[in-house]
Amino acid sequence: MRKLNVIFPDLGLFPAFVITLVLSIVLQLSGAWITMFLVGVLSSMFVRRHRTAFGVGFFGVFIGWLFIFVYLILTAQALPIADFFIGLLGLGGLGWLVIAISSIIGGLLGGFGGLLGRSIVDLVDELLPNEAGKETKDNNR
Amino acid sequence: MLMKRKVLNLGLSFIGPIALIVILTMPIGPLAGGLQILQPWGGIFDVGKGIQHGGNETIALPDMLSGAEVIVDEWGIPHIYGDTLEDTFMALGYMHARDRLFQMVMQTYLASGRICEVIGGADYAINSDKYQRAIGLVKAAEETYQWYVDNADTNEDVDYSLRATLAHVAGINAFIDTMTSDNTPIEFKILGFTPSHWTPIDSFTWAKYMTWSLSGGVYDLRREFVRNQLGNDSLYADIFPEFYPNTIPIIPEQYNLSLIDYADAPGGYPAMLVPPPSILSENEPIAQISESKLNELLNIVSSNINLLGDSVFVGSNSWAVNGSKTATGQAMLANDPHLSLQAPSLWYEVHLVVLDDDEALNVQGGSLPGTPGILIGHTEHISWGMTNVGADVLDIFVEELNPTDPTQYRYNGDWVDFEVREEVIHVKGRADIHFNVSWSLHGPCIDSVMSTYTSDTETSYPNIAMNWTGLSITHEVLTLGILNRAQDIQDYYDAMYWWDSPPHNFIYADDAGNIALTVAGRFPIRQGYSGNFPVTATNDSVGMISNIPYAFNPRSVNPSQCFLQSANQKSIDPSTYGFTILGAQSPDYRGERIHTYLDGKTGITVNDMMQLQADVLDLTAEKMLPYVLAAWTSSGEVNTTIQTLVDELTGWNYEMEIDIAAPTIWTYLLEEIRYVLFDEIRDADLPATLAQIPIVEWVLSAPIDYYIDDHSTVAIESMDEILVQAMHRTANNLYALGDDPSEWLYGHYHTIFIDHLAGMTYIGGGAHRGSGYTVNVGGGWTVQHGPSRRMVVSYTETPEYYTVYPGGQSQVMFSQHWDDLFELWYAYDPILGHYGYTLEYNYATAIAFTNANDGTMIEYIILFIPRG
Repeated sequence: MRKLNVIFPDLGLFPAFVITLVLSIVLQLSGAWITMFLVGVLSSMFVRRHRTAFGVGFFGVFIGWLFIFVYLILTAQALPIADFFIGLLGLGGLGWLVIAISSIIGGLLGGFGGLLGRSIVDLVDELLPNEAGKETKDNNR
Repeated sequence: MLMKRKVLNLGLSFIGPIALIVILTMPIGPLAGGLQILQPWGGIFDVGKGIQHGGNETIALPDMLSGAEVIVDEWGIPHIYGDTLEDTFMALGYMHARDRLFQMVMQTYLASGRICEVIGGADYAINSDKYQRAIGLVKAAEETYQWYVDNADTNEDVDYSLRATLAHVAGINAFIDTMTSDNTPIEFKILGFTPSHWTPIDSFTWAKYMTWSLSGGVYDLRREFVRNQLGNDSLYADIFPEFYPNTIPIIPEQYNLSLIDYADAPGGYPAMLVPPPSILSENEPIAQISESKLNELLNIVSSNINLLGDSVFVGSNSWAVNGSKTATGQAMLANDPHLSLQAPSLWYEVHLVVLDDDEALNVQGGSLPGTPGILIGHTEHISWGMTNVGADVLDIFVEELNPTDPTQYRYNGDWVDFEVREEVIHVKGRADIHFNVSWSLHGPCIDSVMSTYTSDTETSYPNIAMNWTGLSITHEVLTLGILNRAQDIQDYYDAMYWWDSPPHNFIYADDAGNIALTVAGRFPIRQGYSGNFPVTATNDSVGMISNIPYAFNPRSVNPSQCFLQSANQKSIDPSTYGFTILGAQSPDYRGERIHTYLDGKTGITVNDMMQLQADVLDLTAEKMLPYVLAAWTSSGEVNTTIQTLVDELTGWNYEMEIDIAAPTIWTYLLEEIRYVLFDEIRDADLPATLAQIPIVEWVLSAPIDYYIDDHSTVAIESMDEILVQAMHRTANNLYALGDDPSEWLYGHYHTIFIDHLAGMTYIGGGAHRGSGYTVNVGGGWTVQHGPSRRMVVSYTETPEYYTVYPGGQSQVMFSQHWDDLFELWYAYDPILGHYGYTLEYNYATAIAFTNANDGTMIEYIILFIPRG
């Protein structure tokens, strides 16, 4: 069996980011935040370093969620809703902070998903036959 | 080595995701849903999408028989045109749930003693659940529902009401089953709560809760406490008279119906034509409740959650005038029930039409989310409104326990076992709580909430039983089933026959020119005790032995004065009525103002009716302020501080307007007058506010020297001296607000505040006209009770129905229909002299409505169709 790093090419930072961003928007429309881990895992396939996987996952989902929020602000009163929510904590008027926190949470979901994905790929590739092992070592270098 | 590192990396990589999952799902204080609800899609932000309704919607429901078209008008008010009875009420249930599910759940769970399932196990929630279970609303609801099931085959009206109820429940559950993140109430998301299926018992339980709020309450215990504390029966009798001086009762001319037509008491209960003689107070059996237990029980009762607010603020206005007094020559009717102002409102406006000719229905008005039907409104030919009677239909019986076995009590010479009902309170996130409620023949022992009570001096077992008419099988839903189809005054009489609880004054007008008012409800006839205080009854010779016959309930039909009014004052002059209707009575100032206005006016218009609903003339000031000003003049005192107050009050027209200082001064002054007069009450460690304002007026106008004198001094004070004292005390209060009268403007302090049911937000906050004694009522500084719904009906060729309530149709605080009706309700027009109203759309068919639509009347349409 071919190693995962062979199946999924290293696309570089920007293409991986774009894929992550698109995936984060599409999967978030399912309403299941846990899928952002999956987005991070998938995005990690297209980069090779852990820190890059985290960064791509984080910023991809962060920006993806921000896009959704912008849409919701324009069409579905997301800002008053955020204001209402933070008002429950006695911080009325800081709705933007809720949106920022939410987006950061999304980013962390994607980022940690990326880290996890990268670790899984590395371990799986390590376990695969030697023929592919050389390639993996090269990639990890 | 490399492998180990990669395994370690993988292990470490799980830390972040696991930590995030924990953080996002764990409850954080009241945020039981966790932070996961902050995701942009699938969390709280979805509610913004849920309130968008573009064009027409089609919803397929499994139990829909033929279909229903729902036209939602510009105010978010649904007009439901169903092909069959079931279709109409199923659509109503769906709309109730869609627009008010959180409210329905909160109300019903609270009433059922299940609020811990929603909000968790805080002490106040546990106490509330125990208390609600101790008063037994669910058991009563179960028995009432069973009565409908048992009688549906033999009574067409019962069958109709039961079918409407079941269809309504099916509609609610259809919504719950299809609820999406977009239309799930945001409160459920925050609380992390998923509602279970609605049942008919839930509907009846909510009706019981309303009944409890309007006719329940353990006032016998409070009276016992006050009587003991005062230790002066003469004083007690003075401050709690059976009939306030100068009251204009609700019924001007009694109109009896035929005993042949209506032989029984309301609800089909037994009636007695000749009541036994009233018991003399010195002969009344006294029940022994220890002071410590009484205090403890009253503390529990007073700390209980009450959705409808403090009962002292529950009231209402209603009046009707016949054609001889109106500009149109036709009858007019007005009603504004005063209940707790909450967000979302208690009311939900709806228009119900059944197109099936065999069961045709066309009724419109205010419904209560969770109950099937219109509580206040109109059909094509008649209209009605309601005010609370305030009758005492609840007595406390202190059972005599068997000294050797406290699970038994004495009755008719035997030791009888209490019936024990085990209650299990499910607590969110915690273990269940089990406790028992003991029931005697009189009713549930409300001290079951304390279980076995042990103080320093005593150990006692539950034995304080509550005998309340509302715990019997009651017929509110049946009444509405008949009234909602009523076409004339005979139908109205038939509907009122079934209204047994809670006692209410039903004002009536129709397009045939009739006006009427029925003090509807089952009023018990007592024997062997007064019903004012707890009593021990060891046999059935003492108790509620029968009821006033419905035919003789206080009632007036087309009286010679050509108008009728009620504002919670005494129903009927006791000296002219052969039965005793025990109970509280509101100060008569609103009633007197309405009576005076209508009595002296002809050519009444809709505008006049609306102006009277907005009236803020305070009769307490008109009647008592002259005594104060005269006292100041005769005192000869020179004091610029007081003179400033006097200058503001002199020439005041007694209207509680927001842009002047006089109402603020009067509000303080009235309280201080009461305070300085009733040192006798204060000396007993009770608040002077126990004496209602009509008693204050009586003391001043009679005058009653005993109360005018301050007994804490050696000297005997005159009325002038006491009133000047009150002015000095008032000045102290006012100058604490500011040194200049411009800082005393009423609107700075008298504001309206409508709190969200869970305290998450509010409506209002602005200055508010009126006082606790004006027709446009607004008691207290921060008004949270008042006209919960205003309605004016004018029978012209095409009847006009004007309504408004302080809120909006939607439970979603981001919807335009969250508070759009409040904006109307609150918008006082000084030129017109009244507040805003909606003019109802009242089309008999959906086609007529859509044809009449000018582009602004209809917001969207929902088509309910059968599924599969």
